[in-house]
Amino acid sequence: MVRSKKLKFSRNIFPKLGRTWQLFFAVVIALVLTLNFSRVATAAAKHYTDLQFNSLPGIKLPKYERFQLNNGLVVYLMEDHELPLVSGTTLIKTGSRWEAGDKVGLGDIVGSLMRIGGTNKHSPDELNEILEQRAASVETDINESTGTASFESLTEDLETVFGLFAEVLREPAFAPEKLELIKTQIKGSIARRNDDSDNIASREFRKLIYGQNSPYARTIEYATLDKIQREDVINFYRKYFHPNNIILGIVGDFNPKKMRSLIQTKLGDWQPNLNIAKTQLPPVQQANLSGLFFVNQPQLTQSSILMGHLGGKFNSPDYAALDVMNGVLNGFGGRLFNEVRSRQGLAYSVYGLWNPRFDYPGVFIAGGQTRSDATVQFIKSIQLEIERIQKQPVTAKELRYAKESTLNSFVFNFQDPGQTLSRLMRYEYYGYPADFLFRYQKAVTKTTAADVQRVAQKYLKPENLVTLVVGNQSAIQPPLTQLASKITPIDITIPGSQDTGSKIN
Amino acid sequence: MTHWIFTCMRRFLVITLAFFLFCGNFPIQTAIALQGNQSSIKPYLDRVVKQLTEFTLDNGLKFIVLERHQAPVVSFLTYANVGGIDEPDGQTGVAHFLEHLAFKGTKRIGTTNYKAEKPLLDKLEQLDNQIRAAKSENRTEELEKLQKEFKTVEAQAGKLVKQNEMGQIVEQAGGVGLNANTSSEATRYFYSFPANKLELWMSLESERFLEPVFREFYKERDVILEERRMRVENSPVGLMVEKFTDVAFKVHPYRRPVIGYDEDIRNLSPANVREFFNKYYVPSNLTIAVVGDVNPNQVKRLAKIYFGRYPAKPKAQAKINPEPKQTSTREITVELPSQPWYLEGYHRPSITDPDNAVYDIISSLLSNGRTSRLYKSLIETQRVALVAEGISGFPGDKYPNLMLFYALTAPGHTVDKLAIALGQEITKLQTQLVSEKELERVKTQARAGLLRSLDSNMGMAQQLLEYEVKTGSWRNLFKQLDDITKVTPADIQRVAQSTFTAENRTIGKLLSQKS
Repeated sequence: MVRSKKLKFSRNIFPKLGRTWQLFFAVVIALVLTLNFSRVATAAAKHYTDLQFNSLPGIKLPKYERFQLNNGLVVYLMEDHELPLVSGTTLIKTGSRWEAGDKVGLGDIVGSLMRIGGTNKHSPDELNEILEQRAASVETDINESTGTASFESLTEDLETVFGLFAEVLREPAFAPEKLELIKTQIKGSIARRNDDSDNIASREFRKLIYGQNSPYARTIEYATLDKIQREDVINFYRKYFHPNNIILGIVGDFNPKKMRSLIQTKLGDWQPNLNIAKTQLPPVQQANLSGLFFVNQPQLTQSSILMGHLGGKFNSPDYAALDVMNGVLNGFGGRLFNEVRSRQGLAYSVYGLWNPRFDYPGVFIAGGQTRSDATVQFIKSIQLEIERIQKQPVTAKELRYAKESTLNSFVFNFQDPGQTLSRLMRYEYYGYPADFLFRYQKAVTKTTAADVQRVAQKYLKPENLVTLVVGNQSAIQPPLTQLASKITPIDITIPGSQDTGSKIN
Repeated sequence: MTHWIFTCMRRFLVITLAFFLFCGNFPIQTAIALQGNQSSIKPYLDRVVKQLTEFTLDNGLKFIVLERHQAPVVSFLTYANVGGIDEPDGQTGVAHFLEHLAFKGTKRIGTTNYKAEKPLLDKLEQLDNQIRAAKSENRTEELEKLQKEFKTVEAQAGKLVKQNEMGQIVEQAGGVGLNANTSSEATRYFYSFPANKLELWMSLESERFLEPVFREFYKERDVILEERRMRVENSPVGLMVEKFTDVAFKVHPYRRPVIGYDEDIRNLSPANVREFFNKYYVPSNLTIAVVGDVNPNQVKRLAKIYFGRYPAKPKAQAKINPEPKQTSTREITVELPSQPWYLEGYHRPSITDPDNAVYDIISSLLSNGRTSRLYKSLIETQRVALVAEGISGFPGDKYPNLMLFYALTAPGHTVDKLAIALGQEITKLQTQLVSEKELERVKTQARAGLLRSLDSNMGMAQQLLEYEVKTGSWRNLFKQLDDITKVTPADIQRVAQSTFTAENRTIGKLLSQKS
């Protein structure tokens, strides 16, 4: 009854448009029925190829301050109030590469003893207790090209912890009994350095590339340890630990005025040394220009393999292209993973990396582990991949994969302010431009397949490849002689110990 | 350098032990924070609770979403509540194998033509079964023929594969940290994306477990055998820990290696993996964390669209035989080309036990830092050890497990000397009450540790899921701080007395092989 009324109504009101109105109503009713919020309508699961993405907001660099105290100490301050934590690091212009050749280990010892030897005001135990009671830390370390001293603290303990941190930096006591403790520990690690085949491989590989006496490869021995006395430690410390030789960076939940004041109080009256010894970077050249080297470990069922040669520095104009080359060779979509691991099933871990350093040449290093009887096949596969990337330009697909992996993940360099702070400090320490990372990003964007091939041809040197195998000679079938007529055995017996590290055939 | 030794040795051992806790696609370590509570960190924990949303889809799949807008990035973790202990006898390693195969793609990802590929994969399986039969019945001529055919079909199938395409898609889209690990009781898949790729994760991750294709099975088996060689057969410590665990547990599947026994790995078939997948990768057995720069409403909306596709299935439960109480000291000695290591394990209850916090505190007291008991006594004063620490929750903590002490001898000292020194420290805990100051220190460290973990998206994802799945609620991550605060010196003494007994002890000695 209502219906007929309606029709009548429409016919009466819009007699001329009657048919159109009916159509209109029909459509409206149909729409109302379908728009009843069923999932089918707009939201369906999409295959990834059908997805589109908004662009990310531009990178926002965290704010920071950089200033210098009168004594030359460079300071970076970066606030971050997300959590009630403060941490800081110093970079000290020193390094174990400047220790004397007959005292290998001195740098390491200075780095350790500075911390565990206590200070002039606090004994080792006191220092440990005050810090650990507050879940805080102060740590020191010296590696081949830098010295670091760092601290971590809850905001509420900042003054105390920073005070201790400054003490450790300025007046370490180098307690003699702790020197003995450190030496015991180092002796222990010397005794254990042949217990793991990967450790053997990486250590011996560095010696083959840089030379066994190079500051970048030499190993601590019982003999060099014995020569290191407390005086040596103190002298080394005195040579390098001066405010005008240090960059300090602090990030976290601090009040900038108070922090500046605390820094001034604790470090402002530290006298600079205007006669800091000028340091020379040790010369570097590849010690072995080729060759197949072998360490026999008859207990192994798997070989650890390292192949490579001398590399370059980060500030090479070709670094970005070389890094794109790395992207083609490595990663889940990389050639080595695809070919050597997945397609041939030869390895769990396999890589081939251009691995630069900041102020001295790094290495190109390839390798992995594979069962003994696949050793030769593994090595040949890597050689093939090196040749391939030189001979053929990478495909557009591969180039895209390598470049986009870097560029699309760039934001992860800025997850927290601390990352930016470390970079700034590192770049200043090594004399790199502050925007080095962005220059790298631009250069990656511009890299072409021709660039990748060019740098592969220029910098990869298959004829200067040094190959090191740590494995079980009798189980390596086909034998290594298939790869080279001359195989040089390496004796890893620890000098001055009673154990034999390897059997030589 | 001493610090280097600590880091190196600890990393070495942690990698090995982490291996026994987790096997991964690439070596990876996870730190699980131990905790304590106090007023000054409460606002920060409250903030987390405020930023956290949770929801469960109709099919039972639960999501935990934590907002953190410090940077436009998001971390994702898919947690399957299944691991080594759930594996059938004779199929150890299948959970870990499945984890590897979960990177091989789907019907649409990882292949150029699934229609052509499928019959080849089926044929391969068929041939594999025939090969096994021929092997066991010594039909050598037929075996040779079958193996030849197998290689041909494998090569044909291989031509249709787009190697590691899933990983490549993730990385090319800006994903980082793509990896997974398998433990005795959990399988975790994780990576992080820039924040604008949320729907990409939804699509890839949901498709990954909706219609996985376990392609390149036989090659991957070789990869896993390499992994086992690397972690166990060619690692003295790895071998030691595998044997030790086998002795410490007589019945409970914690005794078995997560990577699997060599023979079992070789015998696994695609059918085994499929069965395991179908049984355990059901939505009610999966929990997902999304942490970072997200809108929880959007996450929920997309989760329904993408993960709502999973059909609900009953949750399977493996029959886990409980470990009977140990009644006398057990010991195993192994001689290998290595400097000595010493292990001692004591049975302790699971993570849900009311005394769980006490065990965490005991292991901190003994191991954390230069003021810890073991450092001061064994390393600093007596100098019998280079490293000496205790781990609570080995090789898992869903079930009663071990507190495991490990130590490396200092030069010139034997494991027996170490054992005596360790015993003295353990006895002290039984006979002398811990001071309030020391206890306070450990509690402060615990709460600071949790605080420090709040600025890591992936770290939070891991911790929240760990507590959600193993204890029933992510809130226990924070509640355990309260539990830790409540621990008294008397509790420590009580637990030390009942736990560190000769009857409850398993000893492991790794001695240098005389060459």
